[in-house]
Amino acid sequence: MNQLIPLTVAVPLLTAAALLAVRPLLAGLVWVANLAAVAAAAAVAVMLAFLLRQTSTDEAVYWFAGFRPSHGVAIGVNFVAGPISVGLALIGAILMTAALVFSWRYFTHVGTYFHGLMLIFLAGVAGFCLAGDVFDLFVWFELMGVAAYALTAYRPEERGPIQGALNFAITNSVGAYLSLTGIALIYGRTGALNMAQIGQAAASRSGHGVVVVSFLLIIAGFLVKAAIVPFHFWLADAHAVAPTPVCVLFSGVMVELGLYGIARMYWSVFGGALGHQAALADVFLALGTLTSVVGALFCFRERHVKRLLAFSTISHMGMFLAGFALMTPLGLAGVAVYVAGHALVKGALFLCSGIALHRLRSVNETCLHGRGRKLPVTGATFTLAGLGLAGLPPFALFLGKGWIEDSARMTWLTVVFTLCAILAAGAVLRVAGGVFYGLGDPPREDPRMEAEANEETGETDEGRQRTPLTMLIPPVLLVAGAMAAGVAMLVPGAGAAIERAALRFQDQAAYQAAVLGPSGHGGSAAAAPVATLHPVEPAAVTVSAVVVALVCVAGALALAGAALYWRRLPVLRRGYEPGAGLTEFSRRFQSGVINDYVTWLVVGLAIIGGVLALITGHG
Amino acid sequence: MTPGQRRVIFLVAMAGLAAFVIWGITGLPGFGRYPGPYGPAILKVAEGQTNATGIVSAVNFEYRGIDTVGEEFILFTAVVGMTVVLRKLRGERQRPAIEEARERAQPAGGTGVRAAALAFTGPAALIGWWLATHAQTNPSGGFQGGVVLATAFLLVYLGGEFLTFRRLSPVDITDAAEAIGAGGFAAVGVTAIAAGLPYMDNYLPLGKVPGAVSSAGTIALISFLVGIGVAAAFVQIAGELLEQTMLVREGGG
Repeated sequence: MNQLIPLTVAVPLLTAAALLAVRPLLAGLVWVANLAAVAAAAAVAVMLAFLLRQTSTDEAVYWFAGFRPSHGVAIGVNFVAGPISVGLALIGAILMTAALVFSWRYFTHVGTYFHGLMLIFLAGVAGFCLAGDVFDLFVWFELMGVAAYALTAYRPEERGPIQGALNFAITNSVGAYLSLTGIALIYGRTGALNMAQIGQAAASRSGHGVVVVSFLLIIAGFLVKAAIVPFHFWLADAHAVAPTPVCVLFSGVMVELGLYGIARMYWSVFGGALGHQAALADVFLALGTLTSVVGALFCFRERHVKRLLAFSTISHMGMFLAGFALMTPLGLAGVAVYVAGHALVKGALFLCSGIALHRLRSVNETCLHGRGRKLPVTGATFTLAGLGLAGLPPFALFLGKGWIEDSARMTWLTVVFTLCAILAAGAVLRVAGGVFYGLGDPPREDPRMEAEANEETGETDEGRQRTPLTMLIPPVLLVAGAMAAGVAMLVPGAGAAIERAALRFQDQAAYQAAVLGPSGHGGSAAAAPVATLHPVEPAAVTVSAVVVALVCVAGALALAGAALYWRRLPVLRRGYEPGAGLTEFSRRFQSGVINDYVTWLVVGLAIIGGVLALITGHG
Repeated sequence: MTPGQRRVIFLVAMAGLAAFVIWGITGLPGFGRYPGPYGPAILKVAEGQTNATGIVSAVNFEYRGIDTVGEEFILFTAVVGMTVVLRKLRGERQRPAIEEARERAQPAGGTGVRAAALAFTGPAALIGWWLATHAQTNPSGGFQGGVVLATAFLLVYLGGEFLTFRRLSPVDITDAAEAIGAGGFAAVGVTAIAAGLPYMDNYLPLGKVPGAVSSAGTIALISFLVGIGVAAAFVQIAGELLEQTMLVREGGG
């Protein structure tokens, strides 16, 4: 019985409740709330780090109130801690600590509500990662969602935040209702809520359609949260208006949790019962590739830095989903490392744009041109993080992308992903060069840009003359962490350890045995151990991965340069604005109208549902 | 997308999705043919293990207690979120609505409404309290009891006394009560850890007689805490919305 497991959820919940209970007393003592919140988040991070060490060889199963399963029937609720789930929660706790330190001097009237909501969000993240029961998973998913909606609308004096939060809340709630419907269906079919038990019961009885339908409905909520095209529209709207420290968590861990939910549902619950692994993999691979391309294109045309970073997140989510779709240990290990590196780098990028917003009162690239030159440290951090996003070795991201491509062994995939990474990182480096170094031609006045820029007002109450260290240190440490994580991967055995963790995550029979006990799954048609299906490919730093990474960095730099100096390029006709054609096109889709978003959600589900029915219908 | 295009696309896609879902639902067992082992298993062991005769409460507050902690916090977080948004929308500069209400004529309810509201206030409070404290013995519980308890406060408002309603439920107190209800629930679990037991373990004496008010250990305690949290949450929702309505009415003339 590992008591760290429940404490990762209980500590932030209790701290949040205590802070909110004594809120009036803390009116003049914001530092107490700051200190308590940072301490709680850091404590969760430390506990998860210990837990990561302890679970490196075996999954730790925790039965609440001590109700262990008997005869393969789980009567209580359990948490399952393994390296992948604990690692993802750890990323969330690290980002939360960084975001809370950053907010220390960021809002002056931040109030205790903010700390309470942030800590409840963290409890939701940890609970979601560790849950071993589908309904419990849903509860933490909803808790995280409710806290996220409130945090998005934290500055409701303006029109934007309310609109963005509404788009976010409605699309995600529609997804969550579908998830709950799916849970009800699979409970009706199997009479179980425990993931391992559902997996056994679903694989051993007839009635295949209901398994397929409940799988799609459950992951519908996660597809929305993961911002997979065409379920992604809310993400940029929410990122544009949410306070910058909150964006760090949204991009760094919340959308990745959506993908984790899909992977958990597939590997721990439905994989064995669904069958047709290769065909399902193709569906997810197609979705991932589409998401990556759409995200990269929208990212490049964006001038609002927070929206730009949000679209870059969508593009990366596509690559992560594709990595999951490879269904190999190496692919999943690549996703894990990629997610970790991306979270740290993207967190740093958001925090740097938060500093720009704090000091320069804008996050619009056009308005900010050259004005960031007085923020040298912020500029250097932002640029370094941009290079990391492009996959500059030794940032962890290049290994993640490299392993996914090594495992896929598909040239077209490498080409497409590299182009997407060049587009997204090129856009970030264009911002870095234009804003922080004044490179390129000053932007032409554009009335529409002007209107867009004026919509944005500061999150902080007054522009300050200097950047507090509490705002500067977190992004610097996050970038350093992303680099250190990459270097740590080069230690002999590190890659293999992550690959083994991924292999265990994909082994449904081992998961069932760990949860229900070896006697619990006698003779059921559980999935064959993955190890026999896919011989372990070595997770190593290959020459090709380094070459691809360097091509990617060079491409991103060249693209950024071309975008900054495009007026001097001889090949383009005069008067051409880059991305001008895309703007109208993208506005038609990214309309901000919630009805459109829900319509696309239903369209996406209907298409995927049809494909799944065709794949599994005759099996 | 124009609204017309959207409607066509939506209806076509919805038809497809509906067909897909119906295909799945036909694979469900027939009505009343519950396939799972969970129901029979819990009915067999619950009373003996917890001394509770309200088996739903035993499932909510013990077997699946960790879910219910999360649910209680979802309600709490939703109310905190609503409070943040509405209070900020009203702005810091404006006077509290309670002062404005003082200057305005009270909405005139009929004498009948006032009398009925007054007459029901006491019973509502009593029933709510009873429900919240009897989860272990029958299908009541903190969630239902809390909502009924909150209606007692709303009846005061219905009786035409917005000021009294606001005085009876000061914002700082409802905030704190919500936090204590939700946090107390989570804390019951943590005290078990401190005693070396699993989180949410029922470590209090279970009582001698199943179905007695004093039986079932932490189940009764948690139900009571949930009752406090839920009552405060619903009072606060009503208070914030009423205050909002009064201001909007004021602004509209």
